[in-house]
Order: sequence, then C-alpha cells, then structure tokens
Amino acid sequence: CESLSSLNPFDKSETYKPEIVSNSPPEEIYNDGLARVQKGDFDGAVKKFSSLDKQYPYTDWARKGLIMEAYANYEGGFYEESITAAKRYLQSYPNTADAAYAQYLMASSYYDQIPDITRDQEKSERAILALQELIQRYPNSEYVADAKKKIQVASDQLAGKELEVGRFYLQKRNYAGAINRFRNVVSRYQTTRHVEEALQRLTEAYMAMGIVNEAQTAAAVLGHNFPDSPWYKDAHALLTRGGVEPREDSQSWISKAFRGVPQVGQRTG
Amino acid sequence: CTVGEEFHRGYLVDERALSQVKKGMSAEQVLQTLGTPSTVSTVGNRNWYYISQKSRRPLQFMGEQVVDQQVTAVYFDKGLRVERVALYGIQDGRVFDFISRTTPAGGEEASFLGQIFRGVTSFNPFG
Amino acid sequence: QQAAPRNRRVSATQGPIVNRVVIEGNKRVEKALIEDQLQARARAPYNQAAVDADVQRILEIYQRSGRGLAQVTPRVVDLPNGTVDVVYTVVEGDKTGVKEIRFVGNSQVSSSRLRGVMQTTETNLLSFLKSTDVYDPDRLANDLELIRRYYLKNGYADFRIVSSDVQFDPNAGGYVVTIAVEEGEQYRIGNVAVDPRLPGVDAEAVRRGITTSAGSVYNAEAVERTVQNLTANVARQGNPFALVRPVGARDPSTRTVSLTYVVEEAPRIYIERINVRGNSRTRDYVIRREFELGEGDAYNQVLIDRAERRLNNLGYFKRVRISNEPGSSADRVVVNVDVEDQSTGSFSISGGYSTADGFIGEVSVTETNFLGRGQFVRLAGQLGQRSNGVDFSFTEPYFLGYRMSAGIDLFSKFSDQTRYSRYENRMTGGTLRLGLPFTEEFTVTARYSLYQQEIEIPNDAERPYNDCSFPIPGFTDANRDGVVTRAECEANGEASRAIKQAQGETLTSLAGLTFNYNTLDSTRNPRNGFYAEVKTDFAGLGGDSHYFRVTGDARYYHEIIEDVVGIARVQGGHIMGFGDNGVNGGDLRIVDHFFMGPSLVRGFAPNGIGPRDISTADSRANALGGTTYFGASLEVQFPIFGLPRDLGLKGAVFADAGTLYGYEGPTVFTGVDGGTIRVLDSDKIRSSVGASLLWASPLGPIRFDYAIALSKEEGINGVGADRTQAFRFSGGTRF
Repeated sequence: CESLSSLNPFDKSETYKPEIVSNSPPEEIYNDGLARVQKGDFDGAVKKFSSLDKQYPYTDWARKGLIMEAYANYEGGFYEESITAAKRYLQSYPNTADAAYAQYLMASSYYDQIPDITRDQEKSERAILALQELIQRYPNSEYVADAKKKIQVASDQLAGKELEVGRFYLQKRNYAGAINRFRNVVSRYQTTRHVEEALQRLTEAYMAMGIVNEAQTAAAVLGHNFPDSPWYKDAHALLTRGGVEPREDSQSWISKAFRGVPQVGQRTG
Repeated sequence: CTVGEEFHRGYLVDERALSQVKKGMSAEQVLQTLGTPSTVSTVGNRNWYYISQKSRRPLQFMGEQVVDQQVTAVYFDKGLRVERVALYGIQDGRVFDFISRTTPAGGEEASFLGQIFRGVTSFNPFG
Repeated sequence: QQAAPRNRRVSATQGPIVNRVVIEGNKRVEKALIEDQLQARARAPYNQAAVDADVQRILEIYQRSGRGLAQVTPRVVDLPNGTVDVVYTVVEGDKTGVKEIRFVGNSQVSSSRLRGVMQTTETNLLSFLKSTDVYDPDRLANDLELIRRYYLKNGYADFRIVSSDVQFDPNAGGYVVTIAVEEGEQYRIGNVAVDPRLPGVDAEAVRRGITTSAGSVYNAEAVERTVQNLTANVARQGNPFALVRPVGARDPSTRTVSLTYVVEEAPRIYIERINVRGNSRTRDYVIRREFELGEGDAYNQVLIDRAERRLNNLGYFKRVRISNEPGSSADRVVVNVDVEDQSTGSFSISGGYSTADGFIGEVSVTETNFLGRGQFVRLAGQLGQRSNGVDFSFTEPYFLGYRMSAGIDLFSKFSDQTRYSRYENRMTGGTLRLGLPFTEEFTVTARYSLYQQEIEIPNDAERPYNDCSFPIPGFTDANRDGVVTRAECEANGEASRAIKQAQGETLTSLAGLTFNYNTLDSTRNPRNGFYAEVKTDFAGLGGDSHYFRVTGDARYYHEIIEDVVGIARVQGGHIMGFGDNGVNGGDLRIVDHFFMGPSLVRGFAPNGIGPRDISTADSRANALGGTTYFGASLEVQFPIFGLPRDLGLKGAVFADAGTLYGYEGPTVFTGVDGGTIRVLDSDKIRSSVGASLLWASPLGPIRFDYAIALSKEEGINGVGADRTQAFRFSGGTRF
C-alpha cells in the first residue's frame, strides 16, 4: 500500500533554488556575536561566532570566533559544545594568549556539571584532569588560583562518593569493603574534609571486628591532625567506652599515609 | 532455623592452608598460601587481615545477620617474617551503633519539581 | 610532476570553490542525517572524488532504511560569482522490504513457526506501521541466532544453519531471504548424573535442584537455567567459589543426550571494587543494593548475572552492562557496572470504553525512579460517564534499607451504579501497605486501610429511584390522584428498602494481610507458571463496619502446545459480620457484601449474580450482595492461525461457573421506608461458555468477550432473575 505513504503529510523535501550565500565582513559578524552575548541570546551568538570560522577559515577572525564560541556555549550552559569548541581551539592554536582561557573554559564546563555524591563522579574526575593540565601548562595564567580552588572542591566530591560507598558497606557490616573504601579516602584525599569522617569510620569498623590496635591508631591520627573535630570526639568516646585509649602506632599505614610513604598493595594515583 | 539463605562473605578460610603459615615465613610465602589479604594495614606496620563472615537471612525481606565472623591477622616483624598469627572471632567484635551523622557534601541536588518532570517527555510545565 | 589540466572539472590544481551543498527530493530521510555524512564541503574546492563518494554514501543510507531502489544523481550548478553549487537529487522509489522468507530443509518445524521466531518480518498490510520488514543485515544475523536457539530449545542438538542468502528481486520489488537448515535428529535426555568434585557438596540436594528430567526433550535453555540454580544453591551451601558445569554426551544411535552436572571449584578470585558508572539520575546505592555480593566477597558469575537481571527489571535503565577488569593483584577483579539512565517519568493522557463504566478518560503522572531513589510515585485523575476519581500512590521499595516495599495510596472515587443497583457510591480514604518478600516467589503484604464510603440514591426527575419514600413534587404526584401507590413509583425504578436504609456514610477501618505466590514466567503475557493471591481482612479497629473477610484467587498457566496457553482459575471468598454493625436484624451492612458479575462468571452483567430484593418490581436492579462466593474458569488462548504474529491478535475460548449467596443484611426496616423485604437467595451454580478476541494494539490491550449463560437463576416467575450481558468490551490504553 505504497499509495498511503506517498501522501505523507510530512513532506520534507525542497527543490533546489540557486542562491549565493552573502559574506558580510568579519568584524560585523564578530560584533553581532558579542552583542548577542550581552543580550543573553547565547544560541544566536554561537551561530555567529561559528560562521566566522566557516566564512573566513585560517584567519585570526576564525581564531577569535572559536574562543568566543566556546565562551558563549559555556555561558549558555551548553557544556558539551563548549568543551568541543575549547578542544578545537587548543588543537589549532595551542600557544596563543587565549589558550589558557580555552583550557579554563573546558575545565569549568566539566566542573559546572558535577552532580551530588550519590551519582557518577566522572565529571569531577574530568574537571580535575583539565584543571591540573591548566596549572601545569599555563603556570602563571590568571586562572591558576581559581583552578586550585576548583580542584579542591572536585576532589572533595570524589572523597565524598568514596565515603558514601564506604558507609553503604559498613551499614551492611561488610567490613572488608568498607575499610578499603575508607582507606582510599585517607590515603588519596587527605586534603579534603571527608578524611576526618573516614578515620572515625575506620575506628568504628576495626572496633566492630575487635581489632583494637588498628582502631586505636586511626583514632590517634584523627586526634593528632584534627584535635577539635567532632569526629575525633566520637572516635574517642567509642574507644574509651571500649576501655581502650587511642594510641598512635607510628608504623600503622594510616600514620604512614600522612607521612606520604606509599604502601604495598595499594594502587597509587 | 533451616529456612532462609546463608551467605559466605569475604575471604574463604582454608584450614589446611592456614595451618601451613608458620612463624618466620616470608611475606611472599604467605601470599602464595593464603592469597591477597582482604585488607592490609601496611608492610611497614606489617599487619595483614583476612576477613571472613557467614551471615544468614531467614526471610528475604529481613536484613542479613552476621552469624559467624573470623578475622585472621598475620603480623610480620621488621624483617618481613611472620611474627604471629592471631584469630579474632565474632565474640571479639564490639557491638555498637554507627554514627548516623555524615559530612555534608555539595553537588547539584536535583530540585524536587524539576526532577519529577525532567524525566518526562520534552513537555515540562515547570521548566 | 604536474598533471596537465585536461578540463576544468578534473584538474589537479584547485577546482572552483563550492558555495553550497544541497540535497533535494529526500522525503524519508532527514536532511541533517545525510548532510553530516557528506565529504563535499561548502567553501572548499570542488572535488569530484568526494562527490562520487557522497553518492554511494547516500545510496547506502537509503538502502539501510529500506529503500533499495533509490537513485541519486549529482549535478554542479555554476554561479555568477565563479563558485559552484553541488546538488544531489534523490529519487527515493518505494519501499523495498523483505518480500518473502523461505526455508529449506526444515522438515520437523514448519516455516511459519520459524518465521514467528524471527524479528525480520515479511511485508504485509501493516508494513506502513512497522519497520521490521525492512531488510537489515544485522537483524537477519540476529534472527539466525534466534532460530538456532529455538531448535536447541526443542532437542535438535545437531542443528546447523547451512546457508542464508538474500537476493534482491526487482520484479518482486524487494528482497527474498532463503535460509537453508540441517535439523538433524531430535534428542531426548538420557540419564542425568551429578559429579561432585568438591568436598562437602551434598550431591542429593544438587540432584533435587535438577529440573531437566531424563526422557524429556533435550532443552538447552532449561539446562542453562538448571546450571544457574544449582550454582546458586551450591554456592550457598558452603563454598562461594563452587561452579556447576554441564557435560553432555550425545548418543546418535539412541538419539539421547546423557547429562552430567559437574560441581567443581572456580578459581578463588575476590571482588576488589565495584564501580558504578553512568548513573546520572539513579543514585549509587539503588544500583549497589541489587547486588547480593559486595566488595571483598568471592567473585561468582551467577550472582553477577542475577544482579544484572534485577537491574534490567527495575526499568530505570536503557542499558546495563557489567564487565570485569583485572584488579591490583592476581586474585583480585574489579567489576564495572555501566548503566545508562532512561527517563522513567511518564505524563500520559489515556481514554477507553468499557461496558461497565462507559467512556472513561485518565490523566496520570507516573515516576518510577523518583529523585533517582528508586521510589514509585503516581498521581492520576479519571473522568468518565459513570465514574470519576483521583488517586495518589507512593512506594519505597527498600524501606529502611531492607527489601521491604512500604507504600501509601490515597484515593477518592465516585461511581454511579444506578444502571445495576440504583445507588451512587463515593469512596474516599487511604491505605498504608508494607510488602515483605519471604522468598523470590512468596510475598506477604501487611495493609491498613481507612476509608469513608457514602451511599446515595438519586431522586430526581430522570432518576426517581427513591420517589416512593420521598415523592418528587410535580413528578411523582403527576401520575396519580394524590396518593402515592407503590406500583407506580416502583415502575420507574425504585431502590430496595435495604439500600435506602444503607444510605449515608460508613467509616471502615480495616487491617489485612495479602499472601502472594507468583512463579509466572512473565507478568504481561504469561505462558507458564502459577499465581495465587489470598487476602484476609479484619474490619473493626474503630469505624462503623465490623467483619472478618477472606478472599482467594489462584490461576495456573500452562503452554499446552507452542503458543497455545491453557489457563485454569479458581476463586472464592467469605465475609462474616460480628458485633454491632448498626444494622437491626442483620449482622452485616449491605455495603460490605460481595457484589459479583462478569469478574466471577463472564456473560453476566455487573451485580448480575447474587441475592436480590424481590419485594419490589425493580428487582433486576436491586442486587443485595452475598457473603459467600466461589467460581472456577477454564480458558485456552491461541494465536489466530494465518494472521502474521506481529499483529498481536489472539483468540480464546472459555467456560466459567460460579455462585454468590448468603445475604446477611437486614430485612425488616422502620421509619419512612418501613416494612420487610423478601430476598431471593439461591446458591444455584451459574455457568457460561464463550469466546474472546484479545488484541495487543498499538493503543493498548483491547479485549472483546462474548459469552452465553448456560445456567442462571430464573427467579420466581421472572422476578429476581440474574442479569446477563453477553457482550463485554474493555480497551483503550492500559487500564
């Protein structure tokens, strides 16, 4: 019943009409793009800036258009498009003044998509990598300070997720799984706020298994580094209730982690 | 009671292999006989823990109760030789409630209504 | 060296700049889809090779989307400013689907059955609706696998696909697929043995778990399922590393396969870490809790597969893929769980018709993965000819972290029963429920419900069902000389005194338990399995009604032969009032009685069965309900022969029987409608036979039932007889 589909209402084909695409001057397109960004019409701005690259390939206008395209996408919240535009910029103009900015835009695009800790933290990992690359390749760019702050927050998210899974296994009394997750937080994310809770949870896990010396060490390190943390009070209370004083066993991996000596059987990085 | 399911968690203890671990044995040999430990304190501190648990779940909706727990701790001396092997049974474990407080963590928490409709087809009355 | 420029077109130097690349004539395929596959680019120099490649590329796109006859002609248009336009003109031609699927060598299994197994279908009258008749090499390759698995499921252990070739037949306007098979013999299972090579394995327990019994047809899928169950049981018995491996020894002479289930130990590998990735909406713990094993536990493939199956059944993900990668040491493995969220919210407006409720429309918002927490939320409003209502439902599947599904339902429903029982009923209330799964198949649900029920008898000019007691001025008097005589006011339909007495509001507060046992192979259209539900309710924790009620419903599905499913159903219920039900003379309120109709015996009208008040002329519409009912039904569902399977049409024949009796409501009344009523309360078995048509239409499941009552309660010379209703239709989107 071919006839049925031929009278298909959504007839999308159009016939060809010759028409010359007019080339307006580059500055006009560029300024039009800027105006649209001011107005908040990011979609329109992106089209303008990308047409610069098409109409005037291999010119400085194309370069400017590309970085502005990445910027407009970022402001408009089109993060994936901003990342692709920034990557294209870094490939074609690696050592121009705006390269650091492109890297920063890319990193911020990942950073702004970081979800809460119960969800996949892939964006946090990508953000950290991009920010670290920014610091390493453009050490004296003005974005380094902000990059460092963002790395701290992103790794805080990663630590939070690790801790979340650790708590999940602790709740199910799977001590092996829980302890390894908490260890991960202590050894890889020492600079985040979650390390205090990780140490306290380690005390809980070891106590629940009855391995008192490890519990003591965990609590001691917590007290040593974060004396007034509420987590230390909990850990201390747990130990004293169990009739044991927190005593730092200096050779324990925890104190070692704080002195930065890598341990056997634990993947670095 | 016999009804319900029994689960073996963590490391599966093999008595024969465990009996072969003698004082003075090297870390390498322990790795061969017992395998990688469930968790490791550190070679420096030299405590290896093999955690095994047996839990039972009488009915599917009930939580699992740990019915038996055995932690085999292998302590090494400075020269990486087995100093002693300790067994911690379920009776050693202290029973207490874990702290319910958690460290606040950031990240974009989906707004209530935005969430309920974001999943719906493109039509989204609440924007 | 420089090639001499022979003509302007094919020149080694730069060709003219392309101004625009245009496609015209593409009705079936999106312009954007084609554009980003083209090599010829605007503002780039013209390149003949690129254009030729584009033509092939477009042809391939069309062939993929089922238009093998499409033609593409490129042309170059010179423009005044020296640039050129490249134009691809497409003539799509009509659809070239799979005209015919032929089989060679299939002596044991009919070609139509094999076609039914395949996903690729032949072009037929529905082809404008579907795309499965488009020739797609990948789908065909997948079909060959489906056919192979089908044969292995039915004992053809030596089955082999000899060849499958596809010819494009221009005059048939499509492809002809010919699949040659070599079936070999059908094998049955010889002896079945257990070979425990692991110490401490209880061989007897293992043997009990084997479902592939000797003598039955060899079924590869059943063997696979048995291996999975056995491995799970043995792993539970003591060694999480236990693995069951089937070894089949074929004996062509006796055409039997003797099966040995070897119980051995898998390598001792532990799970180092479970990475959950890709969950942009669902929360980590909602996925992680479906795994019965955790980090640090022994790696067991069966439990991993079971978790994957559970995750797929949640319906929150487009795709679930579990993969392993080596861990940080030889006996460690990292399990990666990659999921892809899908939108689980649905905002649906649906409509339908059923002979009981007339036309009815529903607007509902449902979210099965609320806030990514795996919670179910549903808000729906119904509006219909004879009923409307609104309901809200919320369920948390893992209450307090245990596998207990806690939920709350709130509802307010109005239904106009006047066609069958002369009263309107509004129910408003809520239920708290807690589902406790005891095993995979058996679940107990504890319920507490509190609802207000309001009975009202309409008494106006169109529906004068209470005008004997309360004459309607200007209407009731009109047909007589001032004195209301019962005969007249009953003629226009009058509610029974019992129902008049039941008017007003009753509050019911009841607690109950529901026992479910479910081993159906699929909930949507089950072929094998058993489903039973027993409900016990105790009303009387406060409220006006006091009764103890138990109802039961059991269904057994069995696939008699391929695609023909037999269903045997038994149902029954009893209710017993106690204490003060505020009803003088009876010990149960009318409202709490069972009212039965087509749900018990098809071919009867709603409220068409059961005790009736025969003291009024309108006894047909004055069912009083009963306290005890039971019924049985036998049904056989079969695909309608000759029609292609993907139409989704199924026929069924059935025989029902059942009865409802034991009215224990009041019979003596005082006040305005004082007097006594005579009740016809017979326990005669009503029965019927009938046929139905089931259509899984794109709109939703639609069912037509036609049933003739064989035996019914005739009543006393016609008064108080059952009401039959031969034809019943319910349909529209899912109801």
